[in-house]
Amino acid sequence: MKPGTRLKSVTCDTEVMVIRCGVGVIECGGSAMAEVKPPEATALNPGFSGGTLLGKRYVDADGEYELLCVKSGEGSLSVGGVALVTKDAKPLPASD
Amino acid sequence: MKWASSCVARSRKSLLNDRPDAPAIPLARWAGRQLLQLAEETGSKRIAALLGETLLGERAVLNDFTIPGRQSAGGGCRLYETRDGWIALNLARSDDRDLLPALFRDASLDPRDDAGITSAFSLRPSANLLTQGRELGLAIASTNEEPASPPIALLAEGQEVLRCPENRPLVVDLSALWAGPLAGHLLSLAGGEVVKVESRTRPDAMRQGDPALFALLNQGKASALVDIGTKEGRVALIGLLRRADIVIEAARPRALQQLGIDAREILDSQPGLVWLSITAHGASGVAADWVGFGDDCGVAGELSSALSEAAGATGFVGDAIADPLTGIIAAREAWRHWRAGKSSRIGLSMSSIVASALAEEQTCDPDLVAHELVEWANATGTPFPVCAMRTPEGVLRPLGADTTQWLGDGAC
Repeated sequence: MKPGTRLKSVTCDTEVMVIRCGVGVIECGGSAMAEVKPPEATALNPGFSGGTLLGKRYVDADGEYELLCVKSGEGSLSVGGVALVTKDAKPLPASD
Repeated sequence: MKWASSCVARSRKSLLNDRPDAPAIPLARWAGRQLLQLAEETGSKRIAALLGETLLGERAVLNDFTIPGRQSAGGGCRLYETRDGWIALNLARSDDRDLLPALFRDASLDPRDDAGITSAFSLRPSANLLTQGRELGLAIASTNEEPASPPIALLAEGQEVLRCPENRPLVVDLSALWAGPLAGHLLSLAGGEVVKVESRTRPDAMRQGDPALFALLNQGKASALVDIGTKEGRVALIGLLRRADIVIEAARPRALQQLGIDAREILDSQPGLVWLSITAHGASGVAADWVGFGDDCGVAGELSSALSEAAGATGFVGDAIADPLTGIIAAREAWRHWRAGKSSRIGLSMSSIVASALAEEQTCDPDLVAHELVEWANATGTPFPVCAMRTPEGVLRPLGADTTQWLGDGAC
């Protein structure tokens, strides 16, 4: 998976931009995300239904994965079944 | 649009400086006319004493900047040649570079390798980079883009109140860096009582990054600190916003929404409230989420393409020029709407304000604008033109010194 790839949830409206990734499977709502949205949605896994927030960045504990949410939805993000967490907001520049 | 328009009659003579051959800052005359009009409308002698070139040039002079070429005066923004044009990319924030592999869709790109970045730009068309960069939340602009929004947009209106002429507005300034704080500063000079509210976890980084400019822009304001991560903090902040006459914010719409701050709802509950939303490229529609700072917004506002047309050079014009121009216009819009007494939410687009100012100057006197741009390009690398420098007259309150007074005990 190339950084800069846009992935869509097959369970909800979530879309993410890949900032950084390893070789694992990126999921939303419990199912693998895809570059092309399938015509039929897959059911949302209740264990991954916390929702995504527009503009938030999601990371794993090892810092291997980073996803930017560009469209919010009801599912939550995971890699290989391990939930991702939001990263703190970008620090503001000291001057511009 | 109601700009101060009569070009010649209302221009003021610049103060003579010690380098009579130094170029004028392009658009400083325009800024001066807007300031003069603001001074007339507010009756403020302190605003009347300000010059356009002072507000446009004071940061550069305080920091010994030189007239920029392809790297902005402050150093954070650069112009890169693409396959079919030029792109300005501002890497002002510490972790912006982490996004570069995603910008170029290339995992092998080293985000610290400037030669590699230059080469990656040269292989790609501007339009793709612009779309991808904006989606990634990078401050990016093309020399060849049309403004996405009007410079000033009336986004919502509410109830009216009758204003006593002797009232002074309570201004709550949630903004950081330059444009919003300058608007708050001008409103303070006009007699407003201004409370600068900063987030405990993300205070205005200019306090440390550029203390001299920070002192100029935030003198005379009260300083309150809020922990927006707690319910008590958010409730206290919303309570203060409901008492305000003028609110200044420069956040992307989703940032406020995610905090539970609904401008529309607060506007409906506070007759006469004027809410300014300052963003890089407009405060409604898809452009509301595009990030931008003063230098890249100047490029999006067509200043670098005007420079190229006039002088055949590629470079930045002014120092983060969209910031001071926007601050002046934001203050004037706030004052006008506050005096009119009708609650309103006003969106200000930094890039469009630059584009409109340039278009107006080019209509007034195209030869003079072209001449100034040529002189600007010829002076690349020399010290910034010395303007009439000022020193703070008002007190700079320590961070959070007035929190209890304005937000109560539980806010931070």
